[in-house]
Amino acid sequence: MRRDGNTRSSSLLVLGWFVVAALLAITGGMARAQPAAPGPVDLELGKKLYRANCAGCHKWHGNGGGGYGGDALSLRHTTLDRDQVITTIGCGRPGTGMPYHLRDAYEGDEKKCYGLGQKDLSPGMVLAANAFLRPGEIGVIADYVLARVKGRGEPGYDDCLEFFGAGSRVCNIFKSPVEGGPAAAPPGK
Amino acid sequence: MISFRNRLLGGCAAVLIALGFAAGGALAADVTQERLLNADQEAGNWILHHKDFSAHRYATLDQINAGTVKNLKVAWTVQLGGIEGGGIWSHGGLEGTPLAEDGFLYVTDGWGSVYKIDTHGGEGKLVWKMDPKTDHDWAGAIACCGVDNRGVALWGDMVVSHTLDGRLVATDKESGKVLWQRQIANPDKGEVVTGAPLVVKGMAITGVAGAEYGIRGWIAATDLKTHAEVWRTYTIPAKGEPGSDTWKDDHNAAANGGGSTWVTGSYDPSTNTIVWGVGNPGPDWDSAYRPGDNLYTDSSLAVDADTGRIKWHFQHTPNDPYDYDSVAENVLADVNGPHGAMKIALEADRNGIGYAVDRTTGKFIWATPFVKKLTWTKGVNPETGKPMEYDASKGQQIYNPEATPTRTNKVTIICPGNMGGKNWPPTAYNPKLQTWYIPVIESCNRVTVEETVPGKSYKSREFFTGGGPSNPIKITGSVTAIDAATGKITGKFETPFPMLGGLLATPDLVFAGQPDGHVMALDAKSLAKLWDFNTGGGVSAPPMTFSVDGKQYIALLVGQGGAWDKWFVDGTPELKKIAPSSTLYVFGL
Ligand code: HEC
Repeated sequence: MRRDGNTRSSSLLVLGWFVVAALLAITGGMARAQPAAPGPVDLELGKKLYRANCAGCHKWHGNGGGGYGGDALSLRHTTLDRDQVITTIGCGRPGTGMPYHLRDAYEGDEKKCYGLGQKDLSPGMVLAANAFLRPGEIGVIADYVLARVKGRGEPGYDDCLEFFGAGSRVCNIFKSPVEGGPAAAPPGK
Repeated sequence: MISFRNRLLGGCAAVLIALGFAAGGALAADVTQERLLNADQEAGNWILHHKDFSAHRYATLDQINAGTVKNLKVAWTVQLGGIEGGGIWSHGGLEGTPLAEDGFLYVTDGWGSVYKIDTHGGEGKLVWKMDPKTDHDWAGAIACCGVDNRGVALWGDMVVSHTLDGRLVATDKESGKVLWQRQIANPDKGEVVTGAPLVVKGMAITGVAGAEYGIRGWIAATDLKTHAEVWRTYTIPAKGEPGSDTWKDDHNAAANGGGSTWVTGSYDPSTNTIVWGVGNPGPDWDSAYRPGDNLYTDSSLAVDADTGRIKWHFQHTPNDPYDYDSVAENVLADVNGPHGAMKIALEADRNGIGYAVDRTTGKFIWATPFVKKLTWTKGVNPETGKPMEYDASKGQQIYNPEATPTRTNKVTIICPGNMGGKNWPPTAYNPKLQTWYIPVIESCNRVTVEETVPGKSYKSREFFTGGGPSNPIKITGSVTAIDAATGKITGKFETPFPMLGGLLATPDLVFAGQPDGHVMALDAKSLAKLWDFNTGGGVSAPPMTFSVDGKQYIALLVGQGGAWDKWFVDGTPELKKIAPSSTLYVFGL
């Protein structure tokens, strides 16, 4: 009984996203003045904000990845442009694990996100981010994603060092990969 | 210098212990194997992770009892640190069991800092803090399930602890200075360490986490005098070793086969055997990738303490498609019942079933589902201890087909959910009542399978799970009591939230904490709630008890830890509002 109910609600969520995707195509997503395209791009600030707000799901390299509860899409392979990235960050994606980062994304009568307001969404259909961002910050993150993440190939040592700086052993693996991978694990006792 | 001092103290130890017992309290002395063997008799101390080698988490102190517990209140608190995030984690948390010796507590925070706290005089005073400077990025990026550290061990005049980035650290008990440290696990391979060390005969036994990252699990013993590794036993056999034929694929799935060991085990001195739980196979949910029983994943493993040689194993979920680890501690008990006198090992498995096996042979005795809802199997075969549907001739086990995630049944609801009917939070055992208490997660969740591609899907330091869980169904909890002699459930106290912290048993009480902040005491026989206090922070650590200045206290770390708020919180939406925190609470009459 209970199980049926839940299966249904999950497919509703998925269905919901198709509707939203269609709306997105029609309305162009966030129908609101976007933060102006930047002058000088502050990639350091972008990285800091990305690290605090995005890396938990998309990982430092942006590839995200399936697995334990997370199926964040790859931002290295994304085809979205700046406006679309900004919309996705600000509005999240209803019916998926991508949260909205704009405090008032679904508040008020403006229907800034995909033409949807709170009343159009079932509870829990769109997730709120742990911390909200200001529109300017969202723009800075989008610039960072476009400059440093999107279109880059597989992550390597230089990307890793660029992200973390020195001081952590987190990038070692790219310099001296674990011998032959775990396939060559030493024989057991 | 140091060795001279050791010898001097060592020589005095026996006398001091004798005095200590005679006086009914405990006096400062080096921790020896002798003392650890009798840890259950040091009533006011708690010098092993699970209180004693048998993992009973049972203390005989009884000032706080069914009659007085209603007067229990906060005696004092100490704020700890380690709340900062790292890697994929937004915050650290507390899952540790404090150790107590002679009125001093030794506790850890999630990043492995050790705090020594003087509890004399009715308040907690920080004596020292040892910060191991854990590499947050290196470890935090590959800790599957939170920034956690479950506590320290004591040996000689040292405090022995682990760090998430895979080190074993020995700290001087007096000064808090690091004496030496050694890298035991390798985060480059996806290995981290969250469990407390178990010290047996002067060796620190370490378990590893990382089955979600394609590690090959192990248990390792380090000599605390020479700092050298004495043995390391892999939980996935190498080619040609016994058990390697339970990995029947043609692409070396065993190489990334998982089998982590991240919960502290127990030790049976009468047979010199360490009993330790082994976690899930990898990839977690794509069982077609790794046909065969996948030994020794999802097993209780008994190894010789001196050599690490495997003596016996008992596997709970062969070819596991659910993520039903058997990392849980084995409780070693001597029981008397309808089957006569038995020396058993009890294990409350993530698959929702409690097992008793003969702890000298690993032979199956009884099994009892301890969760309210269990859908993955019809039950356990009373002859073999295997799930009813188990078919040895098959590579891939399909238990209840409706509730088994496979490449063709890609989205499936399983009960218990993949976090298990009982996760790492420890059980407690009251030997007087022969009653075993299980901290239960009453759950179902949804698993989505993704096909694993040989040669492609594995990347070091990336998830290797073959799918993922989601949590559309409400999750609650219970404390469930089982008669250890018969395996019959004797009580179930239901709780609004899952049991994420573990239990403590005293002669007539059971203590438990909840992730919404409530700590409670239940009657040991009826499980009626006799006391409740809201700490105001998430509890994901086990309570323990100790005495100082002739007075009994209950201690508990408060600070939402683990994976719950990242991977499972949708099953308990009310917990989304719980803020990270890091506090030691101590309660007294
Ligand atoms: C709680 C996890 C989570 C967090 C935090 C998160 N994301 Fe996502 N993100 C997701 C998931 C899951 C998806 C996939 C949604 C889907 O299936 O369409 C996604 C999708 C996206 C996409 C769409 C990619 C594409 O090609 O369609 C972009 C862009 C994105 N996220 C950027 C970000 C940025 C930038 C941040 C930080 C401000 C961020 N995300 C924070 C989980 C998260």
